[in-house]
Parts: sequence; structure tokens; C-alpha cells
Amino acid sequence: MRPVAVNPGFSELSRLAELLWSLTSRDVRVRYKHSALGVAWAVLLPLSMMLVFTFVFTRAVDVRSALAVDMPYPLYAYLGLAPWTFFAASLTGCVNSLVANRNLVTKVYFPREVFPLSCIAGAFFDFCIAMAVLAALMVYFQWTGEREFAAHPAVAFLPVVLAVQIAFTIGVGMLAAMANLFFRDVRQIVTVGIQLWMFVSGVVVPVPRDDSWLAWGIGINPMVPIIGAYRDCIVYGRLPEAVPFLYAAAAAALVLVFGWRWFRRASFRFAECI
Amino acid sequence: MRQPAIEFAHVSKKFRLGENHDSLRDLLMSGVRRLAGRAATAPRNAFWALQDVDFSIPRGDAVGIIGPNGAGKSTILKLLSRILRPDQGSIIVRGRLAGLIEVGAGFHGDLTGRENVFLNGAILGMPRRDIRRKFDEIVAFAGLEAFLDMPVKRYSSGMYARLGFSIAVHVNAEVLLVDEVLSVGDAVFRLRCLDRMRKLVHDGTTLVFVTHDLDQMQSICSRTLVLNGGTIVYDGSPGDAVGRYLAAVSNSHAARSADIAPDAAAKLAPEITHFRLVDPAGAPAPWIRPREGIVVDLGFRLARPIARLVVEVNLRSAGGHAILSLNSGRDGRQFGACAGPNRILLRLKDLPLAGGEYFWNIRMWDEQTGTCELDTPYRYPMVINEEGRACGIVSVVREWSFVGPESFAQQTFRHAADEVGRSILHGRTAESGAPCESLPVR
Repeated sequence: MRPVAVNPGFSELSRLAELLWSLTSRDVRVRYKHSALGVAWAVLLPLSMMLVFTFVFTRAVDVRSALAVDMPYPLYAYLGLAPWTFFAASLTGCVNSLVANRNLVTKVYFPREVFPLSCIAGAFFDFCIAMAVLAALMVYFQWTGEREFAAHPAVAFLPVVLAVQIAFTIGVGMLAAMANLFFRDVRQIVTVGIQLWMFVSGVVVPVPRDDSWLAWGIGINPMVPIIGAYRDCIVYGRLPEAVPFLYAAAAAALVLVFGWRWFRRASFRFAECI
Repeated sequence: MRQPAIEFAHVSKKFRLGENHDSLRDLLMSGVRRLAGRAATAPRNAFWALQDVDFSIPRGDAVGIIGPNGAGKSTILKLLSRILRPDQGSIIVRGRLAGLIEVGAGFHGDLTGRENVFLNGAILGMPRRDIRRKFDEIVAFAGLEAFLDMPVKRYSSGMYARLGFSIAVHVNAEVLLVDEVLSVGDAVFRLRCLDRMRKLVHDGTTLVFVTHDLDQMQSICSRTLVLNGGTIVYDGSPGDAVGRYLAAVSNSHAARSADIAPDAAAKLAPEITHFRLVDPAGAPAPWIRPREGIVVDLGFRLARPIARLVVEVNLRSAGGHAILSLNSGRDGRQFGACAGPNRILLRLKDLPLAGGEYFWNIRMWDEQTGTCELDTPYRYPMVINEEGRACGIVSVVREWSFVGPESFAQQTFRHAADEVGRSILHGRTAESGAPCESLPVR
């Protein structure tokens, strides 16, 4: 018999990757399995959200001037909604991930990080489709002449933006998943909180930029520079403003390290407390 | 000397009784109460599921764990598979571990059988290419070729269990934990599972097997731990373990029924003063030979007279199988028992049982009121000593003879069958005293 490593670090990692893949593909398959439109929902959902907000802010109440958006509003909304939906869907998935997989948590051992991570990976799948739709939207606006787009090197910065967002999502997601395991209220709080959070993140309405306490309070929200960075890179063709973005990156790193370590430390109690 | 596959060193595990804070409100309330200076919630009671459990298992051994409910068997498996963490002690498992704590944990009802094989394989730690390689084998073992593309939510529970078990035994594990999962599935599949586990053990897998089925356990395991109340009460050969297990079960049963029975009824209940097995000559029989017959000598004390007392004795094998149920009422005998000591003799002319340990229980009814006066646990042991030690339950008078080469045997078999048939027709059975004759060989 071949010698066996007592503490197999690498095989643990490769196992985690396999599992992550399996659970993510499970979630994605199940999500679209019994719907007539299937994966098309990944396209329809952000599109219909965009239409809703476009209707609300340009037809129902016309606040275009107050919004001070210098691009077609649907594009503005979509560029906010796509990354935001990725974040929000990840978070709502994560918060319930341990409790929903209770039978796995109490019956099989593997690194518990897999549960929130697979939720994020599943949401990322939808995000990729949404970004493909974005490309189609841009072609449309170019064609109608509402906005000119030029290829510019700032797009190369997008992976960094995405990495910062994912790091932040993982950190918050793990904290939420863990908290919900001990206190089931967290799920409700997240559901409400995420609605509020959207409106202070510059997703469909720009955040105020004055000296009021509200603007200052919103300034500590790392999602503001992250969402803004997508518009900077894709539409304006420039790098995001350095200070807020670096702040967001630092905050994301901090939340990631803190969230993951806390999750690790608490994970041996999950099976008992669930 | 190779290191053991499993080292379970002085492990204790504590569970808290009662709820944890399950909602923020509870937490806030208890926080407020604590601030208000009132003693917080009543001190939480800790319940020790395992206390100082210590064993190690060499590579390639098959070890059974038995014990009454709540003895801590599953806790051991969960600790081994790292689902739980011990409060004291240390656990080392060397080698890839696959735990089958529950069949099909991780199946998703909306996915097809095929998809679930891959999902569950990954959950149990099987790399994708291994699953692909073994896929056909897994499906064939479960016998579900026709249902692969059906969502498992439409599977019957037997199909579900078969698929789950099949995946688990095809994981290329070095240490396999199996928890009471063979109770589902039909007899054929159960046998196939046992064979498969035996083969895995033969090929060097270390197996830890938790079960209530003592026959299954004995047929696979070479060593057995008996657990009771969170401690190991026996560690040794499976055969001896069974007796310890039954003692543990009947004690916990007695303890449980004692909790339930109201005091007044307990005082009135008949009290067994003695239960002896004696040979037909009246001498106490330390063990019984199958053909000798025995007398069950039962002494009991009643608090009140019972005019029509019905006595029942039941016998179970050490494996827990019900074997005999003898009821005086069904045999048309009611006893007029008086208050105070009484004695009943039950003569069994023949007890054709295979060698081993058996357990009696006693029940008594008052036939007039129809109330059950007494129902003891299976705590009165009986040892049958049979030469040649047959397995199984029943012992028959037998004689082997070698007839000859097969072509030859064909003819003589017909003759022999005729002979046997005739002897049955003529009532020449072993009990009537006629010895079995050797079959004539031509």
C-alpha cells in the first residue's frame, strides 16, 4: 500500500475545487431545470430590471435632470444592475447556503467554505451572461447613435475590479452564512438590507457627492467605487478614481481575510449548531 | 510496524442539552436579563455523548460498533469524519476517508440519477475521472440502468438507497465508515452490499461499521466495540460482543420502562424470584444440549391473587431474532395463582437450536381483566452447547455421507430421495428414536 499523507494539503485543495465545480453546476442546473425559458432567465432578469428602473425614473417620474447621468439611462442602470445583481444574488445565496445544505453539513465532511463559494460561483455564471448582454446593448446604442463607444485600454482593468468585488462578496458572504446559522434572523435582515444597500451604492441612482452626513456615510460603502469602476472602465474609458477605489480594494481585502478566518474558526461548530 | 489507520485517543464529546440561541430575539432577551442582574438562563446541562473513548484500529481491519440507541455510535463516526470536533482527546485518521453516515446525503431531487452520481461522488471525495471510469460499475451495482435519466425525487426509497450505497462503496477509500444504512433495500441487494464490503476489507480497506443488525455485523467484522452510555463496555470478538450488547440493551430497556411505570403499579407487579433452566432429571443445567430437552423453572411472587394467570415465555437468539413464543393461554392453560410465592414448570421435550447464546423474557397476563402484569426484558440467558457448532438458528439431526462421483450420484440420489420420502411417510423421524441411516451406496 502506498504511503498516505497524514495531512494532505494539496489533495484537500484539489478536492475543494472539484466539489466547488460539482455544487455550482448542481445549483445552476437546478435553477434553470424546470423553467420553460431555462438559462434565458439569466439574460431576462437584468434586462427586465433595467426596463423597470428605466420606466420608473424616466417615465413615471422624470428625474433625468436630477440624476445627472451623462449616458443613456438604460445603459447606466444596466451597468449598475449587472454587477449589483451578481453581488446581491451571491449574498442572498450565501446567507442561506449552510442552512439549506443542512443534510450535507451534518452528514459529510468537507471544507465548509464550499457552500458560500459555490453560491458566488453560481451567481458569477449569471453575471457572465449578463455581461454578454451588455455588449449587445452597447452595440444597440452605438447604432442608434445615442452614445459613441471606442475601444480603449481601460477595459483591461476590469478583471481587477471584478477581483475586488469578488473578494468583498466572499468576505461578506461568509460572515452572513455563518451568522445565519446561529441566528436565523440574519436572512431576513439581509433581504431588507440589500434593498437599502442598492440605493446607496450608485446602482440605479447616483450617490450624492456633497458634504452632508449622508454623503459621508455612503462614502464608506465599498460598493460605490466598485460599481462606479465598471462604468469608468467600460463607458468612460478611464481608470477609476484612485483613492476611493484603493479604499474599496483595501476594505474588500480586510473583509475577506476577516470573514474567511472567522468562518474557518467557527466551522467545526456548524454541524452541532445548525 | 505500520501505524494504525485510526487512532481514537481518550476522546470525549459533549453536547448541550436544550436550544442554542436560535434567533436574535433570544440572544437579546438573555442579554437584557443578564444586564438586569437577574440570573441568566438556567445553567445549561451538558450531556456527554462520549466519555474517554479510546481505541485504535490497524489498517485493513473491519470493526463493528454496536450499542443501544444513544450510546454514541454515530457520534464516533461523525468525529472520525471530522463533522464534529472532540472536546477532549485526539483523533488521527490515516488515509482517504469516505463516510457513509447517511445514504444519498447530498442527492438533489431535481437532478437525474446520472447527475447525482457525479455530484455525490464529488461530495464523497471521488475525483471526476474516477467517477467516469467507474460509472457503469456503480450503476450496474445499484441495478438502476433503466432509471438513470429520471430525477431522483421520483425514485422509490429503495432505489435511492441503492444508488447512494453503490456510489459510496465505489469510492476508492482507505477508510470507510458505514452507519446503519443497509436496513433499506431488498434482501438480494443487502447481500450484495455485504459481499462488496467483505471484498473491500479483503482488499485492505479499513472498515468501521455501525449497525443494529448483529448478523450483518458478525458476518463482516473481525472485532467489535460495544458502546453503552458513551463508553466502551467491550472490545473484542464479535461473538462475545453480542452478549454484552444484549445485556446493555436490556438494561437500558429496563431503565426506560422503569421510568415509565408508575410506582403503585410497580409495587403490585409480579416479581420474578427465580428463573432456572434444569435438565429433565432436575439438576441445574449450566448449558443445554439440543436434544436433551429442558425444564424452565419459574418462581414468582404476586401481590394479589390472580385467578386466571397466563404466562408467556419468549426466546430470542443473541442476534436478536425471535425464535419461540410459548403462551400458556394459547395452549389452553390458565393458572390460579395466589398472593405470595408461586412456581411454574415448563417442560420442553426438545429444543432443536443451534449452539450459541439465547435470551428469554417473561410476560404475565391477568386473563380476566386482560391487563399485562409483567413484561421483562430479554435478560434470562441460556447457552446451548452443540458439538460441531452449527451456524444459523435451528439444529437438526444430521448425518453426512459421501456418495461418489457425480454421474454415479445422479442415480443414487433418486434412490436416496425415495428412501427419505418413505421414512417421512412412515413417521420415522429422528424424534421417534429411529436413527438416520447412511444412504446405501451402490
